[in-house]
Amino acid sequence: MSFPVRKSVFAGIAGISLVGTVAGCAPSAQSTPAQSTTGASSSAPADGTAGSSSAASGYQDGTYSADGNYVSPNGTETVGVELTLSGGTVSDVSITQHPSNPNTRKFQGEFAGGIAAQIVGKKLDELSVSKVAGSSLTSGGFNQAVEKIKSEAR
Amino acid sequence: MPHPGWAAFSFDGIGTSWEVSTPGPLEARQRRRLLAVVEEYDAAWSRFRTDSIVARAARQPGRFVMPVGAGALGRLYRSLYRLTDGAMTPLVGGSLEQLGYDPAYSLRPRGIPLPAPRWDDVLDWQDAVLTTTAAVVLDVGAAGKGQLADLLAVELRAQGAGEHFIDASGDLLNSGPAPVTVALEHPYDPGRAIGTISLGTGALCASAANRRAWGDGLHHVLDGTTGSPVSTVVATWALAENAMTADALATALFFVPGKALQQDFEFSWLTVFSDGSAAYSAGFKGVLFE
Repeated sequence: MSFPVRKSVFAGIAGISLVGTVAGCAPSAQSTPAQSTTGASSSAPADGTAGSSSAASGYQDGTYSADGNYVSPNGTETVGVELTLSGGTVSDVSITQHPSNPNTRKFQGEFAGGIAAQIVGKKLDELSVSKVAGSSLTSGGFNQAVEKIKSEAR
Repeated sequence: MPHPGWAAFSFDGIGTSWEVSTPGPLEARQRRRLLAVVEEYDAAWSRFRTDSIVARAARQPGRFVMPVGAGALGRLYRSLYRLTDGAMTPLVGGSLEQLGYDPAYSLRPRGIPLPAPRWDDVLDWQDAVLTTTAAVVLDVGAAGKGQLADLLAVELRAQGAGEHFIDASGDLLNSGPAPVTVALEHPYDPGRAIGTISLGTGALCASAANRRAWGDGLHHVLDGTTGSPVSTVVATWALAENAMTADALATALFFVPGKALQQDFEFSWLTVFSDGSAAYSAGFKGVLFE
């Protein structure tokens, strides 16, 4: 179960990092790779309870948070991400807002509300479906490299 | 399995997992033919192996004769290159490598994002013949998986296995009239779906920023004009007659609104933005959970 847990965390953080660029509202507002790449992944255990023992087996249940930075036309902004893990899945995602101006507040607020209100998810095993359409599963080499980077970042 | 009782042939190809389902099991000879189609495609187009044709094109300019189907692929890419103002381009391979998505899977950026070269400056693509004036890293990842699914379908039909279902790791091609209920993967949580759709004859392909992602804001859908990952769209789905078109349009939706693409292509689409909102065409109405 360790891989799905880490994967969920990773996907969640990677997705949320996109907020910044939307809030920035301009192509030039891309957050640069270095800003929070490893920072967001490695600083996950924020509650102090899931530290050392998580190294080999993935993250334990708990609430994790990390701040990420991005550059907007208004300067550098910070967005906080909080993930709750339970039983191997992300059970809650929330955005901690650190808006420094009304525009940022509006964009971040819309995003924070958006996940819960607009993209509603149901567990796959609760659905009667025979196939899942989604972005490609990745190759072995790719997955291994991602895992390596994540373990180094921990 | 799309239908109860069907048989599956699973294999790895072009860096991903495949499942070909048929009402009865395929014979060994049929399987070998399918794998040969995969091998031929990979040997031409894979930038992850040193002996491919595109690997040669990455080393030095020249004239490269690609296999059957390259003409259709080139015309589709050319059309989407125009519609996306150069954002979607087969010349994006160098930009991907710059950000770490290279044959060694280093996944470490070499530096700042690098725009792809302009098509007309370096590439002349006439049917199956590519002529380049510089060493270029071609990456047809936006449409190649779909095209290979179509080529496998052609091979299956030639074998008399006209009724089949191809699952190319989430890009789906249904040849038969019996619809298959398909879940749409949640862009932030692969264990969940954001809706379900009934897929009749045709293809349903997806693209998302949650996979092949290797760091904050780093994923495989790059804007060729900047070399940076697209950040306002997180997931797309496209329904079209064939998988190559559906696959390519799923990527094009990262750059251009579905409505604009509908002027040139007959297809249905769903786009999920990074603010959690969604836009879709009539074909996806009622598909999302509420």
